Amino acid sequence: MDDHWVGVLSNIGVMSFLALSAYLLLLTGEISFGQQAFFAIGAYAAGIGTALWGWPLAAALGWAALAGAAAAVLVGLPTLRLHGLYFAIATLAFAEMVRILFEMWRYQVPIDGELLGPDGADGFRGIRYVFESNIEPSQYLAIIYALLGAVLLGFLLLERSRLGVSLRMIGEDPELAELNGIPVKRCKVLAAGLAGSLAGVGGGLYAHLTTYVEPRTFDVMLGVHSLAYGLIGGLGTALGPVIGVAIDISVLESVRMFAGYRMIVFGGLVALLLIWRPRGLLDETVVHALKARLRSACRCVWMSARVGETRR
Amino acid sequence: MIDFVQNTLDGVMIGSSYALLALGFTLIFGVMRRLNLSYGPTIMIGAYLGTLLHVDAGAGAAAVAAATVLGAALAGVYVERLCFAPMAAGAGIASMVSSFAIWMQLEQAAILVLPRHTYAFPPLAAGAPLTLGPFLVRLDHATMLIAAAALATGVYLVLHRTRFGLGLRAIVGNPVAAHLVGVDVRLSTLAAFALASAVGGVAGYLVLAVDQQVTPMFGMWATFKGLIAMMLGGLGSIPGAILGGLLLGAIEAHAQWYFGPHIRDLVTFAVLFLVLVLRPTGLIGEAPPAEAAAYGRA
Repeated sequence: MDDHWVGVLSNIGVMSFLALSAYLLLLTGEISFGQQAFFAIGAYAAGIGTALWGWPLAAALGWAALAGAAAAVLVGLPTLRLHGLYFAIATLAFAEMVRILFEMWRYQVPIDGELLGPDGADGFRGIRYVFESNIEPSQYLAIIYALLGAVLLGFLLLERSRLGVSLRMIGEDPELAELNGIPVKRCKVLAAGLAGSLAGVGGGLYAHLTTYVEPRTFDVMLGVHSLAYGLIGGLGTALGPVIGVAIDISVLESVRMFAGYRMIVFGGLVALLLIWRPRGLLDETVVHALKARLRSACRCVWMSARVGETRR
Repeated sequence: MIDFVQNTLDGVMIGSSYALLALGFTLIFGVMRRLNLSYGPTIMIGAYLGTLLHVDAGAGAAAVAAATVLGAALAGVYVERLCFAPMAAGAGIASMVSSFAIWMQLEQAAILVLPRHTYAFPPLAAGAPLTLGPFLVRLDHATMLIAAAALATGVYLVLHRTRFGLGLRAIVGNPVAAHLVGVDVRLSTLAAFALASAVGGVAGYLVLAVDQQVTPMFGMWATFKGLIAMMLGGLGSIPGAILGGLLLGAIEAHAQWYFGPHIRDLVTFAVLFLVLVLRPTGLIGEAPPAEAAAYGRA
């Protein structure tokens, strides 16, 4: 695989964490314009972990997840009382506050005769752990996708669990869920915390992928993009947001021939797609149909295997 | 004390354009119960049309103003047809994301036509500032305030004194019932969308004429200023939009004066966050009954 595609795939993997973070809240029916804040917090936390405190990558990523989750729960407690647009705008306000604070925050430590650390609007340079530990880009790609695979497995288990059903139920109708004895508030805060930790890990991976983060990357556009990914790929399964990211990044990368018309084509295609499928490519109906077909196919195989056994 | 009053005065004048932006936003939201993220970029399309006339044909202020408003209204119709009209009632989030995709499209279209980073925009009213005792009022700021007040009054009269306005208010109350009593919901919605985009176009024209320049960042700027002002005042309320806009202008002017531009934005977002958390309906808005239903379900 050449370096170009390793880069593209790494980007898709890292952005998937952010898209999954927004998707998890969408399941509970909440739109967040602010998941990029936890992505930013994770990026800074992990960068500080390896570059300034000399931690190994795993510890730094764990710390990024923790920081993202803690921040998300802290914001979630007052804001999750709100609904719909009110919640969306409150998260937007919070995320912009975080971005501006990062633009003002300086915390620099001399490491090997060089000042490292967050330097306000100039960003945080020199997160070189991956390079210094002689991890090849393709190995780092494997790390990203191993973690992403674990997260997707987690989503698969979640969808089959009581909690997953509760979350979707809250998304359908919070009052009905409450009446059925589901602790709506607690579930939502839990979902927000998990979403925050996902974004945090994604941010940590992002910081080590680019070796350099700057606050203006984490603006509202990033947040709205991460929300859009779920709707493009589909809200029926956790694979949806990942597909959404892959479509966006790979289409944008490959359709260079459109040059200046890239966004005109892509924006129009997304708008048409959403008319055709308002809940994305892999929406709930498609996912159910696929599952049913898979199940009957499995049953066929199993039955024919048993038939074979009895004949023998 | 003089500084304080002067800042408030300046802030309120700038805020009058935010109030118009919020007014257009709140009209769309009131009728649709959906968020049009493309609101700012539609205004930008109008502004770029005006700029094109100004740069290529040397058009004067009046022609540029007309082109801006007309262009914004037409772009608004395009967004409504593509992102809002074809979506079913429950697909609020799809409309919002779709309008975001069209935002990208409109922005790129504008940049293709006028690729430089900044273009000159014809000024509104030149001349020496007026003096009111110890206070100074810029002539273009005063014009902006008067135009904004006139337009807000006009929108209020359309909503409360015409059949079209009555129909719109019926749709805001209950679209199904409005349809049953003979209101053409689809047509009225389209017209409201065009009207709101045109109001936004006027706001955009006023802001750009005061700044005397236009950049591709304008679409994003207009969407977010309008959104913040609307949420501060209260979603779906016209007096709320006006109050929110003026308040946002005043807050920005004071914060800028005392702390500089960085902290200004921080203060703005902190105020917005606190208002939403402590008083979710905004300062004078009422919780719209159908809002939770429209957004509760994707």
